[in-house]
Amino acid sequence: MTELENYLFSGIPIRTTLDNSTTVQYAGLLCQLTMKARSTVRDIDPQNDLTFLRIRSKKHEIMVAPDKEYLLIVIQNPCE
Amino acid sequence: MQPSSPLPLVFDDEGKDVTPHPLFHSDPDTAVPRQAKLLASSDYSGGVLSSFPMHQTGGDGSFVEPFSRRTCGNSSISKPNASTMEFMLDEIVEPGSQGDTAVSLSDVQVRQEETEEQLTEEDLDRRVDIYLTETETIWMLDMPSVVASVESEDAGRILERNKIYVDICKNRPGNDRFVEKMMQTINGAAKNKEVQCDKIVMEDKGMVVTSWDLYDSFNVSETEPTSKGEATNGKSSTSHMTKKHDQTASVTSARGNITSVTTLESAALARIHEGEKNRLEAILTSENFQQDLFFMERVLMENIFQPKLAAYRQFPVLIDPAVTSDNVSTVVAVKEAKQEEHDKGKKDKEAQKEALIDPSIPSDLNKALEETVPPSLEQLWSYTCDLTKGHNVSSMAWSKVNPDLLAVGYGAFDFKEQKKGLACCWSLKNPMWPERIFQCEHGVTALDFSMASPNLLAVGMYSGTITIYNVRSCTTTAILSSRDSSARHTGPVWQLKWLEQDRDTADDDKRERLISISADGRLTKWLIQKGLDCTDLMKIKRAGSMKKNLPCEKERKSVVLISRQAAGMCFDFHPKDTNFYLAGTEEGLIHKCSCSYDQQFLETYKGHKGPVYKVAWNPFSTDMFLSCSADWTIMLWHQNSQMPILTFSSTTTVVHDIMWSPKSVFIFAAANESRVEIWDLSVSILDPVITRFANPEAKFTSVLFAKNTDCLLVGDSRGEVSVFAPQNLAASSSTKVDALSDVISPALTT
Repeated sequence: MTELENYLFSGIPIRTTLDNSTTVQYAGLLCQLTMKARSTVRDIDPQNDLTFLRIRSKKHEIMVAPDKEYLLIVIQNPCE
Repeated sequence: MQPSSPLPLVFDDEGKDVTPHPLFHSDPDTAVPRQAKLLASSDYSGGVLSSFPMHQTGGDGSFVEPFSRRTCGNSSISKPNASTMEFMLDEIVEPGSQGDTAVSLSDVQVRQEETEEQLTEEDLDRRVDIYLTETETIWMLDMPSVVASVESEDAGRILERNKIYVDICKNRPGNDRFVEKMMQTINGAAKNKEVQCDKIVMEDKGMVVTSWDLYDSFNVSETEPTSKGEATNGKSSTSHMTKKHDQTASVTSARGNITSVTTLESAALARIHEGEKNRLEAILTSENFQQDLFFMERVLMENIFQPKLAAYRQFPVLIDPAVTSDNVSTVVAVKEAKQEEHDKGKKDKEAQKEALIDPSIPSDLNKALEETVPPSLEQLWSYTCDLTKGHNVSSMAWSKVNPDLLAVGYGAFDFKEQKKGLACCWSLKNPMWPERIFQCEHGVTALDFSMASPNLLAVGMYSGTITIYNVRSCTTTAILSSRDSSARHTGPVWQLKWLEQDRDTADDDKRERLISISADGRLTKWLIQKGLDCTDLMKIKRAGSMKKNLPCEKERKSVVLISRQAAGMCFDFHPKDTNFYLAGTEEGLIHKCSCSYDQQFLETYKGHKGPVYKVAWNPFSTDMFLSCSADWTIMLWHQNSQMPILTFSSTTTVVHDIMWSPKSVFIFAAANESRVEIWDLSVSILDPVITRFANPEAKFTSVLFAKNTDCLLVGDSRGEVSVFAPQNLAASSSTKVDALSDVISPALTT
């Protein structure tokens, strides 16, 4: 139901429950998006910072917890 | 302002000294001119003037004049200049100067106006005296004319000279005195010189500067300078730790400089063997990571349980539109089926009609069927996890400060089933795993949160020990325990309560005390002063045998008893006056006692035939209280009457727990072994309003109403605490004090 991944900023996954190719794909894409989101938040107020990012789509929900050193990504399928 | 080198003296043909004087003499007294432009232009004019003599022959000096005049437009010498300039103008007008001198004058005048000072309101009203004086004449430009009037004195001489000149010119062609001579200048040989230098490497660097970037640069933290330095180098710095490599990678990638990221990455990859593993481990065990995981878990839980939690809080439940319509219809269909079951017995045509209505409007259905559907308990979720499976829920308590924090004690009631107990703190935000787990040596039989220090949780155990935990810390060690106390209980602690006493006999301040009752017959008050200290409030003496004596016997038989104490099972302090309390015993007696007199009971209520497991004062109608016992009955008492007013017996199983609803004066909940019941005395005093049967393996052992919602928590013997939401319960939320007695009085008369 949920998958967990953990990446370094350089894109190397530390720990993952998905297959490698999907992991790497998520890593690259979400890394950039997190940067952009963080840049947006901080542009508005430089003292602010991004703590959590949630993307809800038709099929899943992707939750990203960014940090200085790593990125924690969880993909959750909606359960009935 | 003055030219640094002294001006060379310049003489013209006639030997006149036409050395141009600098226009501006900087007076040390006067203020420095405010406008730098003026300075610059005056410098320039100084330069122009030095080259002036070369253009002296030209009658057109006006191109210099505008400059020179503008420099005069200085606040210190503004007005007097006007007079001098007018004087000069007069001189120069004769040679037929062009019209732009007038223009230049007006320019100057404009200039003067621009250099006025900032005026204040006061200044406008102030009387200003202006003195006009003539300064000495400053010669700015002296261009002697080259024409003279015919009538002047020199006219003759000039005419003669002109004539001589004309003659010379006439004589020139064939005269010996004038010889044409040609000259050739020597052109030196040209020499080519070439210089070659290293190619100047040009590098383009682009950056998107964001406001946070600027902010970061100014508020430098420890790691910022090193990473910034590396970014500007743009080269892989192998001397740094791989940690910093990644940081620079992040920083540089944010700056859009992709090339350096790849170099750094390759360098980082090359050093994988060295610091990588350590770093990974450091990340995984770091505090930030733990915290992120914690938040993530909470978010996941919220996603999973959102509809249930919304129902708990009595919010309208969001139906996810992304969920396929099949699911929605199945949910609705289930609801419909439930309602149809209820309606089976009824011959209501309306219900039949509405069953055919479009299933996508469940809310309307509910509304229409409200009158006909009996109230029920809908299970929202249950607090359970692997740890708690198999344990019996013995007690539950809400935190006094946070109404979403629940403490649950797990421990068996029977002697035979004893095993290690557990006390867990569950949070509403995570129904799948408790926030705190305290392992206890013996089964937990009672617990309560403190009010004065809301982080303290007192836990009473089967062994008689009372321990106090601090729920703020994650450690599972108790901060205080009565295990080593000499006055500790020798029997299981069946109930615990923190109480704030209005007045204390010994101490003056209003401190919170922990009251406990246990099977050794003592009701003790514990103080926290460097350890648990206790004083007994009451020792429950065993009353004589309750069997009916023959009417002729006046003496009681003296029965030899093993223990003179009767085991206390439960207590409850009066909601209004904390001096009085009720204590229920194993013998089936309920005693009303006072804190100030511990020798005798004020009253004894006899009615139950088995141990009284719980007593509870009605929070609104404070003369009534309820008691439940192992004799399958629940009894409602009035404190003035020795006989119970009402007896509720609806089952043939032990009633473990009862609780009045905090919202309504009529409603209370009871947990029998096989089912949980909600009674509403305004509706019926014979039957419970809602009955919910338990799973066959489980026995309900405790109930707890939620303070902020209508929900009911029920703990069972399998270690599950289920949360139920009453549906369609007629909201009789009357809290009038007399309401209950009004309802009860018809029963009293019978």
